[in-house]
Amino acid sequence: MDTKNITHTSAVSSDTQNTSTALGKLIRRPEAGSLLGLLAVFVFFALAAGEIFLMPAGYSSWLNIAAEIGIIALPVGLLMIAGELDISVGAIIPASSLTVAIISGHYGAPEYIGIAAGLGVGLLIGFINGVLVNRTGVPSLIITIATMFGVMGLTLGITVWLVGSTGVAIVPSETTTYLLGQFIGGMFQITIFWWIAFVVAIFYLLHISPYGNWIYALGGDRISARNAGIPTAGLTTSLFMLSGFCSAFVGVSQVLVYQSAQVLGGQAFIFNSIMCVVIGGVLLTGGAGSVIGIVLGTITFAMVNQGIYFTDIDPNMGSIIIGALLLIAVMANDKFRQLALSYSNKKKK
Amino acid sequence: MNMFSIGSFVRRPEFGAILSLIAVIAFYVIFGGVNLTTMFGAASWVNFAANLGIVALPVGLLMIAGELDISIGAMIPAGSMTIAIISGYYELPIIVGIVASLSIGVLVGLINGIISVKTTVPSLIITLGTLVAVQGFVLGASVLITGNASVALDSPQWAKTIFGQLIGGNYQVIIIWWFALTIIFAFVVHKMKYGNWIYAIGGDKISARNAGIPTNKMIITLFVLSSTSASFVGMCGAILFNSAQVSGGMNYIFNTIVAIVVGGVLLTGGFGSIIGIFIGALTFAIVNQGIYFTDIDRNWSSLIIGVMLLAAVLMNNSFRHMALTMMTKKKK
Repeated sequence: MDTKNITHTSAVSSDTQNTSTALGKLIRRPEAGSLLGLLAVFVFFALAAGEIFLMPAGYSSWLNIAAEIGIIALPVGLLMIAGELDISVGAIIPASSLTVAIISGHYGAPEYIGIAAGLGVGLLIGFINGVLVNRTGVPSLIITIATMFGVMGLTLGITVWLVGSTGVAIVPSETTTYLLGQFIGGMFQITIFWWIAFVVAIFYLLHISPYGNWIYALGGDRISARNAGIPTAGLTTSLFMLSGFCSAFVGVSQVLVYQSAQVLGGQAFIFNSIMCVVIGGVLLTGGAGSVIGIVLGTITFAMVNQGIYFTDIDPNMGSIIIGALLLIAVMANDKFRQLALSYSNKKKK
Repeated sequence: MNMFSIGSFVRRPEFGAILSLIAVIAFYVIFGGVNLTTMFGAASWVNFAANLGIVALPVGLLMIAGELDISIGAMIPAGSMTIAIISGYYELPIIVGIVASLSIGVLVGLINGIISVKTTVPSLIITLGTLVAVQGFVLGASVLITGNASVALDSPQWAKTIFGQLIGGNYQVIIIWWFALTIIFAFVVHKMKYGNWIYAIGGDKISARNAGIPTNKMIITLFVLSSTSASFVGMCGAILFNSAQVSGGMNYIFNTIVAIVVGGVLLTGGFGSIIGIFIGALTFAIVNQGIYFTDIDRNWSSLIIGVMLLAAVLMNNSFRHMALTMMTKKKK
């Protein structure tokens, strides 16, 4: 136990001295916890579900789910590290799906226009979220609940007004299907590779580029961050735009995979993305977390969600496992932090 | 003097709520061509408001104390499923079902409250965990026990009269419960010491504890109240409709938060009032259900809710700011 504490505090102190590398961050505490959780879940399902879980079909089932949630969980995690929440992702997904379906499916405009418009919708909503949060000082939970309701109403109203129904079909061309909607080997969605690309990009952003430290500083103490010369308002808006863009990306790829867009749907992503991020060791109050942790949290979540179907257990019980995992994850993190803090306090005395 | 009384009225938490209510009704009259007598005579929105309002009262108090409870979204189906399985499927006396249904609320509330005071984890995350777990438990247990996702319930006349009758054929008896609970809550919060304690906890938890307020006990009590009210609403629904509904609770999560914030409660705690929460639930119900009485397409109702929420928080913010600056000016 003592050695654990010592390694932990030394990791923290090397962190504060800014000598830590990406590798140093990898072995930091939150990821270690989420990695253990992931391994436990994997072993459990490998034993309970048998061979099928370890075959490509088993992998594809949870990877497909993980990719969609994962693309959204990444920017939601960044926002959470910066001390903000984004509920509106649940409304952006159907909004962007329907934008693509209406422009390119219903009106038959070229697909790149539809896709650009769909992604633009996400950026715009993110921009509105960011500006409102910066200008008003109202907690982002409330602001993004408001934009969620607003966007939901607009999506429903405009779709019914333009198309006359709540679902719109689209037949994507071969190029777009190849890029965004194909199943590799008949079972692996191409979204998985997009997810990997997003992970690499956001890993660079948070852990290598200078913006990463800004984001941590923002979540640690916003006022000090601003006084230190960090453009906090611009950074917050960019992060909201990133989460709007990523949600819209998932919406766009969904419409190309399923070849139709529905007004409802996307609601589940709100809490699912938050859960992935928290299981991955990000602090809701901001200032701590990592991209690897978010990825591990997402994989754990998806594995529980899908792996349960390969077992004899009632699928609804998967929710209990996820709820328990979430509580264990947050409480373990909490306990560790307290231990570490009290230990370092003692050292100072 | 005149200025001061206006200032103190504007500073009251429910002022914004009343303005939102008037604005929504005015909007429906001007742009929706709504017939006010028809709308106010209708039961649909009052029923909606009562169900929402009973949950919003304790959740609003939690928000005043600086906490959130989203597990209510699972507690409503949990309450209705519990009574349906015990008194409907196993045919035990209805009173056993009622007690069990409320006990589930108490139990989950205790779990939420104890984890919340024992750790520094934000209550949003804790209740998200219990939300998902309870949801899975309720669905799984009902499928496992009854082999079905909906369970029928036949309740005796007295239980129907108290919890599930329709007064005048349309008005759910839960409306009376809502009024009664609002009065009780208003008395406890605004006339007894507990109210001040809640405001103090929301304002500054550490100072509140140092001042001798049993903060942990208060927070646990509030969590118990909120999840029990949610299971109560679920139970009343099961008795009224003679069957338990597994789904439908999730909408309550955001609806209650919107109703409370429109009612003038500050999400960060320390500010709000019972009458404001009451009016907030009323306003939300009028937007959501009143739209059926207008010429406006009902698909736009979410947009109106979003705009109203935004307008309400901005208005509350600027009024609070205005009121505060007015106070400081006077002191100088």
